[in-house]
Amino acid sequence: MSTRSTTALPDGGLKSPGAGLITLDPVRTALLRGLDELLTGLAARLSAPEVVGPPLLSVEGLTRLDFFRNFPHLGVSAGHFAPDALDGLAGGEAPGELPLRPTGYLLPSATCYGLLLSLEGRDVGEEGLRLSAAGRCFRNETHYDGLRRLWGFHMREVLYLGTKQGSVEHLERGAEFILEAAALLGLELTRSVADDPFYDKGGSRARLMALDPVKHEFCAPDGTAIASVNRHRNFFGERLDIRAGSEGPAYSACVAFGIERWIHAMILAHGTPEQALDRLRAARV
Amino acid sequence: MERIAEWLHEKNPGLDGPIAHDEDLIEARLIDSMDFLEFIDLLEELSGSSIDLQEVTIDDFRTLGRVQERFLSAAG
Repeated sequence: MSTRSTTALPDGGLKSPGAGLITLDPVRTALLRGLDELLTGLAARLSAPEVVGPPLLSVEGLTRLDFFRNFPHLGVSAGHFAPDALDGLAGGEAPGELPLRPTGYLLPSATCYGLLLSLEGRDVGEEGLRLSAAGRCFRNETHYDGLRRLWGFHMREVLYLGTKQGSVEHLERGAEFILEAAALLGLELTRSVADDPFYDKGGSRARLMALDPVKHEFCAPDGTAIASVNRHRNFFGERLDIRAGSEGPAYSACVAFGIERWIHAMILAHGTPEQALDRLRAARV
Repeated sequence: MERIAEWLHEKNPGLDGPIAHDEDLIEARLIDSMDFLEFIDLLEELSGSSIDLQEVTIDDFRTLGRVQERFLSAAG
């Protein structure tokens, strides 16, 4: 009688709890950790200290950042059961039928929001400030597609706040790093102008963005955007009263990596998750 | 151009003094992206002709000088 190894997954692998939700198996998890470590190289290169953003964002803060005007469809709310539902739940009632009450908080849809909101009213000086963070981000989507489009995913960002020129340089160095990392990993990426998923595609913000793109994406050969460089002008600086010394409201910019999408791109480029992991390990030596 | 300056001041109440003709209205967000279409409406009203966003570039809106030259020179 053979004894099953405690490290082998049972037949059928790990079950998904629902659309857009995936439990990463050991190989994909190793890819996630290894890729995140490699991509954190940008933070090291730019001397951006690592921080951990808040797990929830206040609706009030997001409102000031026009989040709901731009992306009313994306927000995944943190709710709690109404007090008068608790007895029923404890008595075995089906939770799905019971009302949830809003808490005033949302799960983050991007890593930088929590960092920016934490800097409200601060002065980052003319030299500026960089921060690096990774977090799970959540977005309601109309469809989900493997690791390419998930309800919740890991996003690493390196954020800069400071001067207009500093923002430009941050994104130049970010773009340079993305292409270097991709080359190291055997990924072919194409840079293209991108659009944030605005709800109102014909609205003022979307129309201006079409004329003056503030977001560029780096896409795998199947079109999956795995990294982006984003400039915010002085929007967050003004809205959150974040100053850059005598320069006035801080300009900001961020470089973002969708880690599960890097896993997807690695498997696409190298055939299997195991081969992708081998390639990643070779790239790290 | 007075109407445009008035509009910019109305949208940016914290702004002191006149706006230089070469000031970057887009990067400094004196024209906020949420107000961009309202700005286009104002330009259309002042110039008396419609603006096709397929046929302009962002630089056409970047400074007061360029706005004057591109959209308002015929109207004076």
